[in-house]
Amino acid sequence: MKEQSSIPVTKTQRSAKFVKTGFQIGGNYIKHYSKKLFNPQLTNDELNEDNATDIYKSLSELKGSALKIAQMLSMDKNILPKSYIDKFTQSQYNAPPLSGPLIVRTFTKSFGKTPEKIYDKFNLRSTNAASIGQVHTAELNGKKLAVKIQYPGVGDSISSDLKMVKPFAFRLLGMSEKELNIYIKEVEERLLEETDYELEVKRSIEFSEACKNLNNVVFPTYYPELSGKKIISMDWIDGHHLKEFLKTKPSQELRNKIGQALWDFYNFQQHELRAVHADPHPGNFLITPEEKLGVIDFGCIKEMPDDFYYPFFSLISTDVIKDKAKTIEAFRKLEMIHKEDNAEQIEFYYHAYREMIELFARPYTSEVFNFDNPDFFAQLYSYGEKISKMAEFKQARGVKHFIYVNRTNFGLYAILQELKAIVNTTTYKPHLK
Amino acid sequence: MATAQQIRNGYIDYVLMNDEKPKSVYSFVKKLKISESDFYEFYASFESIEKIIWVELIVETIGTLQQQEVWNEYSSRDKILAFFYSYVEVLKKQRSFVIYSLKTTKDRFSTPDALSGVKPIFEHFAEEILNEGLETGELAERKFFSKRYKDALWIQFAFIVKFWVSDDSTGFEKTDEAIEKGINVTFDLFQRSPIDNLLEYGKFLSRNGHFKEKMRF
Repeated sequence: MKEQSSIPVTKTQRSAKFVKTGFQIGGNYIKHYSKKLFNPQLTNDELNEDNATDIYKSLSELKGSALKIAQMLSMDKNILPKSYIDKFTQSQYNAPPLSGPLIVRTFTKSFGKTPEKIYDKFNLRSTNAASIGQVHTAELNGKKLAVKIQYPGVGDSISSDLKMVKPFAFRLLGMSEKELNIYIKEVEERLLEETDYELEVKRSIEFSEACKNLNNVVFPTYYPELSGKKIISMDWIDGHHLKEFLKTKPSQELRNKIGQALWDFYNFQQHELRAVHADPHPGNFLITPEEKLGVIDFGCIKEMPDDFYYPFFSLISTDVIKDKAKTIEAFRKLEMIHKEDNAEQIEFYYHAYREMIELFARPYTSEVFNFDNPDFFAQLYSYGEKISKMAEFKQARGVKHFIYVNRTNFGLYAILQELKAIVNTTTYKPHLK
Repeated sequence: MATAQQIRNGYIDYVLMNDEKPKSVYSFVKKLKISESDFYEFYASFESIEKIIWVELIVETIGTLQQQEVWNEYSSRDKILAFFYSYVEVLKKQRSFVIYSLKTTKDRFSTPDALSGVKPIFEHFAEEILNEGLETGELAERKFFSKRYKDALWIQFAFIVKFWVSDDSTGFEKTDEAIEKGINVTFDLFQRSPIDNLLEYGKFLSRNGHFKEKMRF
């Protein structure tokens, strides 16, 4: 892969990137319609494919938060056309790396020493990109380590990036900017937390300790003394990412085992810890040769406050949803139905959101759920597609916590679907008053 | 008996406290309690002290770089990047002096007086690295232009030092970005690019102009 040694950093340069994308997308439309003149059968798939490629290209050159947003959009499969998704999922794997001297520089700044003086061995070529940083291998006392290094200036550029991604994202989502600011703020908070590597190390240690008794889930050991504001050192975990794992044609039994580990990992956190690893993209997991699930990134943690947890999960795991009055009551608490809504609107949103909740809760409704279920996912996507086109949903609804909770759970479902896993969904259930 | 080091430190201390040069060598040596001949044994003037401090800083930078194990594995691009990262790190130790010196020296744009000793050292250093790059094919050999690559790097040098002087970001992070971007752009221009190919094609067409008649449909 081509080594990329610069991030467009100033706002103008970044804007230029987006402008370029805009032009390219414009170009794609022209290309599409001129082709369509000759071939009226041409569908929008090719156009979407072209657009996705260009958007992905410029986002991955931008790195930092823009790449993160690409990753996020790719998790929300239910609101994007399919070809956008395929390209965006690529951003979860590799992005071009930064120059060697800058890595050395980052080390001397944090530790006053070059990497070769800190580790017995250090590989200047990075093995993976981690969206706001890159991963290097190192060796210390005979142990193989993974060292994550953050790109300089990432924290600085997040807010300005978000400002620029906003209109672009809104166009994709078709919503107005003003109403979505509260959500953008939530995203910004999480993204800024992710740039705090000291916090990440602290949380990684806490969460891996809290989750250590889960079956078939393993965590790397973290080294706080070899970590800093821009650097995290942890044990290297051998294993395959999801896609490579699936290429090895794992047995149904093994896929179930990994799927169960994922399910337990997420639901243990949601219901026992009330704070969840909210970044379920496949790049954060490894399947080890011992057939265990390795979790390697705790950058993004979403805490679930009581005033969200209780109304939301009472809808998911109790009979509340069967009682219209109680359901509307819960929807009000979650701001999915507003005070000023009239009777007609209440009726409308009640039905629309009830459908969403029922889809969300589907895996919880039976003890064992088979995620190899094209019908279920087709319903999810078509629901997403349907509401993304409805004028009624082009306004802010639902408390901000939904962004990450939906992303986490639908992300989890999407991974389980790819695994085609059959999972026991009763292992860690919601606790309700 | 005073040493060069003492005089140098005394001078730095003086200019930073007073924000100007001592009035005369006479008044300066009196403060340091040394004789004038001690002073002249090491330095010809105040300006030469400043020049030497700058020279020492760049010599120290190049020295530490060449001791690094990875140095020999680096490409030309990486070497120049590494140079600037280390250089701003070394400059940090004398930041107040650097700011003072650039503020007071004459001719701030191309080559400030104080940097007149640094320029040949940097150019020599850069030229060696550029030649390596030209030999390995990392950089494009261009008639006339490849001799001027080092001038482009000197412009970067002046820019980066000035950027660093006015950088107020934590840990001078913005300077890091200025280096990473500026040097990469510069080296991208040094490499073979579509423009080279375009020029070659143009040359080819003009050399083979007699085909033009036959080419016409």
